[in-house]
Amino acid sequence: MDIINIPILKIENFLIASIQVALHDLQAVQFKDAVLQRIYESKAKGVIIDLTATDVLDSFVGRLISDIAAMARLMGTTVVITGLQPAVAITLVELGLELPGIETALNLEKGIAKLRKITESNADGSA
Amino acid sequence: MAVPKVITIQSDLDIVAARMAARDMAKSMGFGAIDQARIATAISELARNIYLYAGEGTVTVSEVQQGVRKGIEVICEDQGPGIEDISLVMQDGYTTSKGMGMGLPGAKRLMDDFEVISIMNEGTKITCRKWKR
Ligand SMILES: Nc1ncnc2c1ncn2[C@@H]1O[C@H](COP(=O)(O)OP(=O)(O)OP(=O)(O)O)[C@@H](O)[C@H]1O
Ligand SMILES: [Mg+2]
Repeated sequence: MDIINIPILKIENFLIASIQVALHDLQAVQFKDAVLQRIYESKAKGVIIDLTATDVLDSFVGRLISDIAAMARLMGTTVVITGLQPAVAITLVELGLELPGIETALNLEKGIAKLRKITESNADGSA
Repeated sequence: MAVPKVITIQSDLDIVAARMAARDMAKSMGFGAIDQARIATAISELARNIYLYAGEGTVTVSEVQQGVRKGIEVICEDQGPGIEDISLVMQDGYTTSKGMGMGLPGAKRLMDDFEVISIMNEGTKITCRKWKR
């Protein structure tokens, strides 16, 4: 039971995962594993985690998102969080979780633009 | 007034159920989106602590009234190991697991009233409230 069903789409060189349901802890861990596995298999340069539909983000899921970003970074992949609702952002900061070092963008479109910019400048730097 | 709701915490699924119950009640009482998120997040932290440290317990969500002000009250109770030094666990960053030690101090910041009663080897009871503005 309990297998998560969060589709992870690939567009250009990027993966897009949109969290549409309230994840319980086990599902959140499965989501982390699934995203990392997909990064490895697809060699994606960037990942967008879209939280438009997320209305509560507690320390457990917050930390998992930080972990995904840190692990993806080690694999050469940038994670951008999109669609964070104002109430969720305010609550995260008040809770004491500021997700330092995580890229964010207002929506999916801006997230993709940001990823393009970051991955282009990374490619320039290493060329 | 809404009828109090009791959620038994025995698995990580119940953590989600507890925070949804708190959020639903907050919403039906007319709390705004930000307060709903604050309340739901605080309850998520406290319910997870019950699950992690006591194994099981209950979360009771009810409507309260004090004079003219209305609020939501959440009582998180367990018969777990108890907390030895309450002022210590209320500090940011203190953890005995591999957590971030943000749950209790964070939940306190998100709510208006926050009281912890704990007796070693008997259990812990946390009562918190948020008032409507
Ligand atoms: N219901 C409880 N029964 C017994 N001990 C508890 C209970 N709740 C919290 N504690 C103790 O208080 C400590 C601090 O709790 P807190 O929620 O602040 O942080 P955490 O659970 O360790 O990490 P985080 O919540 O950030 O993931 C815990 O590590 C645990 O030792
Ligand atoms: Mg905790």
